Amino acid sequence: MNPKNNLLIGAVIAVVVVMSYDVGVDPIAFVEGLPNLGIVLKEMTEFESEHWGTAFWAMLETIEMAFIGTILGVVISLPLSIFAARNVSSKYVYGPLRALLAATRTFPSILWAILFVIVVGLGSFAGILAITLYTIGFISKLQYESIEAIDYDPVEATTAIGLSKIQLIRYVIIPESAPHLLSQILYMFDYNVRQTSILGIVGAGGIGFYIINYIKFFEYGKAAVFMLVVLIAVLAIDWASVKIRDRYIMKAQHGQQVKVVKN
Amino acid sequence: MDMSKTASFSSIATLSIIQMRNVSASYDSKSFVLKNVSMNVKRGTNYAIVGASGSGKSTLLKLMNGMMIPSGGVVLYNYQKPDLKNRQYRKSISKIGYISQTLGLVKNSSVLDNVMIGGLPRLSFFNSFFKLFPKEELEHAHKVLKLVGLDEKSNRKVHMLSGGEKRRVAIARALMQKPDILLADEIVSELDSVTAREIMDVIKDAQKKFNLTAIMIHHDMNLALEYANRVAVIKDGDKVLEIGVEGEQIIDFQTGNLTQEEILEMYNEP
Repeated sequence: MNPKNNLLIGAVIAVVVVMSYDVGVDPIAFVEGLPNLGIVLKEMTEFESEHWGTAFWAMLETIEMAFIGTILGVVISLPLSIFAARNVSSKYVYGPLRALLAATRTFPSILWAILFVIVVGLGSFAGILAITLYTIGFISKLQYESIEAIDYDPVEATTAIGLSKIQLIRYVIIPESAPHLLSQILYMFDYNVRQTSILGIVGAGGIGFYIINYIKFFEYGKAAVFMLVVLIAVLAIDWASVKIRDRYIMKAQHGQQVKVVKN
Repeated sequence: MDMSKTASFSSIATLSIIQMRNVSASYDSKSFVLKNVSMNVKRGTNYAIVGASGSGKSTLLKLMNGMMIPSGGVVLYNYQKPDLKNRQYRKSISKIGYISQTLGLVKNSSVLDNVMIGGLPRLSFFNSFFKLFPKEELEHAHKVLKLVGLDEKSNRKVHMLSGGEKRRVAIARALMQKPDILLADEIVSELDSVTAREIMDVIKDAQKKFNLTAIMIHHDMNLALEYANRVAVIKDGDKVLEIGVEGEQIIDFQTGNLTQEEILEMYNEP
């Protein structure tokens, strides 16, 4: 390590310390407050079993919202990504469209949820709209980038056969850009379940609604149990998507003849 | 060589399918990749173009199917000027089976899907969009897949195939176009000599079966002499030699001055 690097590291640490002081970071409060977690844990043990049903249905609603939002978002993204790809579409179409898609990604879905609560009122529908919009912004970007990265050879070859533009998109562009799509959808669903869990905070449905209300009424034990349910559900979905990925994506990449060997 | 068969087919069979008169071509309008090339390819011929890399061979093929237009001279395919930008011409381009050096296959699609692409210009918008292939189209696809020896692997994804098999798919796709001419740009150059000859035999069979004209670019003079009945030699954008092969005989068509020994001597050197 040379002196220059040491100086840089020292400077970064100094900046972190100064900024922490500025925003009021208080390590003593953290250490003193830790026992409070014990209270939360104790309250969790006092969780009445009749609330398990509520937690389950709220989580199910959350997953349903995330699922609907993801699927709607993907379905809308696919044509949009073709219009937004520079190698397929015209400048006058992809320019504005990409700006619009970038705008949908600017805000986290919870801010869109606030907007949709104003538009369609409290409830799950506002949350679904927020998730859909965010998914459109994200999947379209991933997909148009994957379309732009496709090999030019088959495009040239099929143009020389006399394919129409629609046929080119249907038989060359989509198959060549699709292999990552399933993986992207699984990732997006995973992400959306986590996002949907907090949308309830602004009244857009899902399990977050219960969590924020328990917190408001100082029922931290119940809030913690509901958060635990979110944790378990997200882990379960994560596990399931790994399974799906292994089964379908590995197969697509290595061919049907190759099986994943387990030791 | 099955010249007699195609010649007796009809009077049309003796007509030219590709004509080039004093053609020059340039990518940047400064330096010319082709200078003053003339050639005449008759129907049913197995025509080979041989030359070192960078000699302008690939450009010749692209001029023939209209992917490029000449900067000077005239190119005619079936007595019309090939130009991909021309709407009228684009209707007839599906009759030209063009295989590029990189093959241009859709790697994530199955062998059958790739072959079906060759027939798409014949399909209606609705059928092609929903992949509703008419029965006779599917039958033709299996017929050409059998011919190239890949019918067993028609559901296999293309990226899983070997180099030789990929070339078979590209040939099948071109045959699916029901072409009257096959243009192939060095498609066997990267293969070992056994596989290269297998592929050349497939093309030879296809030519007999579908009455095809073939124009193939080769790197290897021996391979060209073995399979073609006309060989044009391109050097630095010039056609320096055109020879005919009839049985064991090799005849100089360009100048008429070179003897068989002289020609062979020129190309036996490394």
